[in-house]
Parts: sequence; C-alpha cells; structure tokens
Amino acid sequence: MKEYLLDAPVTEDFFAYLGNFGDVEALPHVGDGFYKFEKTDWFSIKGFAGDTTVEVRFKKEVKEMTVDFLYQLFSTYREGAVDLSLLKRREAAVGERVKTHLYGP
Amino acid sequence: MARNPPIIYLNNAATTWPKPPDVLEAARRSLALPVFGSGRTTGSQGEDYITLAREALSRLLAADPPEHVVFTQNATDSLNLLIQGFLAGQEAGCHVLTTALEHNSVLRPLHEWERQHGIRLTIIPFEGCFVSPAAVRAAIEPDTRLMVMNHGSNVLGSVQEIARIGEILHDHGVYFIVDGAQTAGHIPVNLRELPVDAYAFTGHKGLFGLPGVGGFYLRDPEAIAPIRFGGTGTDSFSLLHPREMPERFEAGTHNYPGLAALAAGVDYIMSAGVEAIAAKAERQTGYLIGELRKAPNITIYNDRPSLPIVSFNIQGMENDDVGFILARGYGIIARTGIHCAPLMHRAIDGGVGCVRLSLSWLTTDDECRIAAEAVREIADNAYSQVSSP
Repeated sequence: MKEYLLDAPVTEDFFAYLGNFGDVEALPHVGDGFYKFEKTDWFSIKGFAGDTTVEVRFKKEVKEMTVDFLYQLFSTYREGAVDLSLLKRREAAVGERVKTHLYGP
Repeated sequence: MARNPPIIYLNNAATTWPKPPDVLEAARRSLALPVFGSGRTTGSQGEDYITLAREALSRLLAADPPEHVVFTQNATDSLNLLIQGFLAGQEAGCHVLTTALEHNSVLRPLHEWERQHGIRLTIIPFEGCFVSPAAVRAAIEPDTRLMVMNHGSNVLGSVQEIARIGEILHDHGVYFIVDGAQTAGHIPVNLRELPVDAYAFTGHKGLFGLPGVGGFYLRDPEAIAPIRFGGTGTDSFSLLHPREMPERFEAGTHNYPGLAALAAGVDYIMSAGVEAIAAKAERQTGYLIGELRKAPNITIYNDRPSLPIVSFNIQGMENDDVGFILARGYGIIARTGIHCAPLMHRAIDGGVGCVRLSLSWLTTDDECRIAAEAVREIADNAYSQVSSP
C-alpha cells in the first residue's frame, strides 16, 4: 500500500475519469464522497473527494509494469485535454504484459 | 463528518491506546536512571522493576508463587516457549488438540510441529462463539498429550469455558495451555482456581503496558523444557543454564522500561477493579451492538461478547473499505481483515474478514456513540456505481 500526495484535491470527476479504465464504486454522501477505483490485477485507488491524498494498493507481482500507467492517469487528468485513445492503447499494451506475467502466454 | 476529526481509537484488542499517565511516567522514570538488575550491576539505587512486575501479575492473576510468572516479549513468544517446550518432552507423533477459534500465535507453532515433527493435530470447531466442553471430550484420544486454546477470542470476544474444559482434560491426563492475550486485564482471572497448566499473557493489550513485553504463568516448571539459554546474572560459573524459577525460562537482559510500565499498568487495573472494567465493557459493547443491529445491512458476528469486541461487515462492502472510511472520514481507528485468525474467519465470513471495533477501559461512552453513528451512516449509504463521462 502506498499513499500518494497529489497537487490538488481529489474530485468526483477524477474518479469518473478513472472509470474509463476500471470499476469505480462510491459513497457520495459520506462526507464529501468516498471513491474507490479498482483495476483488477493492476491496482486500486481509494480516497475522499476534497483530500489531497489517495491510497493505492498495487498487485505486487506486476507493480513494476503498472506503476507508470498510474502516474499517467494522475498526470493526464491534471493536464486536461485527455487523449483517451492514446491511453487506451497504452493500457492494452501493459495489459498484455500483465496477463502474460500472471497467467502465462 | 468533520475534516480531520480527533482520533477515536477502537483497536484496543491489538494494542491499547491511550496508556494511563502512570504507565507513561513509569516508562519514562525507568529510562531516566541506570537500570538496577540484580547480578548485573554494582548499582543499587534503582527500583527492581522485574520483581515489582512479577508480584503485580501474581496478584492480578492469583498466580502463585510469583516466581512462576515468567517474562517474555509478548503472548506469541510465550506460546512458542510453552508449546515447543512441552512438545520437546513428548513422544513423536503424539496427538494435540486446538480449536478453530485460535490466533496464529497458536495455529502456526502447532502446524509447524505437525509438519516438522509429525504431531497429529485435531482442530475442534466452534458453535456460535464457543467451543463446547463436550466437543473437547469427544476429541480426546488415548495418546492426546496437549490442548492449546484461547481464553477469549480476539474476533468474537467470547470467553471460553476453560474451567470445565480444563477439568475434562485433566481427567484424561492432557496438559492444558491457555492463551490469555485477550482476557488478562479485561475479566477476572483466578489461576489459583482454574484448572490450567499454563496461561500466556501479553503486556500491551488489556494490561496497558508497552509492546514488547509479555509473559506466562506456569504451574509446574518441570512440565516444560526450557529452549532458551544464556546469561541470567546468577550462578555465572555454571556453563549450564539455571533450572530454578524464573531464571529457567528467562535468558538475557529484561525489558526494564516495559516491565516498569507493565507493573504500573497492572496497578492501574487493580485500582480500577477488574470487575468494574468487565462490567463497563459489557455495557458499551451491548450499546454498540444494539445500535449496529438497527441497520439491516450490517452483519454482526458476535451478539453477546464478554470482551469489549464488536465484529461486523456491511453487506456489499469490503471490510477494508469500511475501515478506510472510518479512519479517513471519521478519525475512527479500527482493524479490518482476518485478525490473524484464519480458521475462524473461514467459519464466520467465508474468509473475507471483517471490521473489528475493540474498546478499552479508557474508551468513553461518547466515543461509542460517535462510532455507532459513523458505522450506521456508512451502511445507510452503501455503494453506488459512478458512471464514466
């Protein structure tokens, strides 16, 4: 488990954006809203809207393959004008490596 | 829900916090002067914390004589010394009993001995929150030599019938080691009357001491072979370890600050009164369970605990998420997961684990009220899906 300090507070929109790449569950009416993103076999992200920290849990066997993608998710959202198709291609490429590593060719 | 709320600490079954001021002061004072350890210094101006702690534990647990109270690192350390020390003197392949309620501090030493030394291990299941004396009786075989079980469950908060179980075991010549990690300091324990051969405790839970100090009471020292040897500050010309109590099981320098704090913690408990501590725990856990029961989507695993422990899940939510929300959103520190009790969780929740709230004598009614409201608020707002843009 790692805790990441972000440049700006987490928003519901951020988790909605993450929903392009995995499952998002929420308790929007608890505080400013609790959100959880789950990308099976890669990592999960938990946090409260309004907080500047999120908790990330990696699947440790493939962390070295997936950690860069996590940073890309953070940075692309912060920079705006996200090119989803580019990220999807990258996701697919990493996903192939993760799948092979965990389950064989 | 306030941003950055004050901490409400409900993880006392792991380690109690806060500690009473006398405990903190005792630890500070013990570090402010050179230690006085008989046979280990020419100084004599300090307090003999080891004897103070031994005598305090002897009074609290009615454990006679005080020299039969042995200090270790914690309950796990105690159980390892007792289990391995007992089995070292038994025939290979003998039969050992334990229960599905146990912590890994019991399960792992026994399973390692099963793997490495070929003991035959029977795990007795529980019903409700209890292991029945009848089930223990039924599990005894002609070559059963040992039973190890907890006095109080670290997940269900149930206190087992060790008096009745001990009688049955002794009727069949079975040695009885009890894990008292969760009961020492929480409920009255009278080892003068209980048919228990050895009772392990830890300092950092109900006794309000520091992590890193624990111990056990041993009725007959000859029943357990010592498996640690070294300096004791006594009989130093002998190249063999002393066989007298308590040196028989204590090798190396003691944890002086830990023992000073432990003695203060035990004194604090005795001045509060263990009966009063137990009564408050029952009242507060009863309140918490009553409040949580009002939410239809909360599953409570222990209806009437004797120890200040409430274990539950919110249907449709991972217990780890509930713990995260309680901690980050409400400042309530709990514990989630399987609490080092894998067999129990397989039985009660399919092995997914649960959320555990555990109180101490210092937990306030207001903290219980806030915790109950927080859990119910989370349950009332169970998960919804977030759609992508």
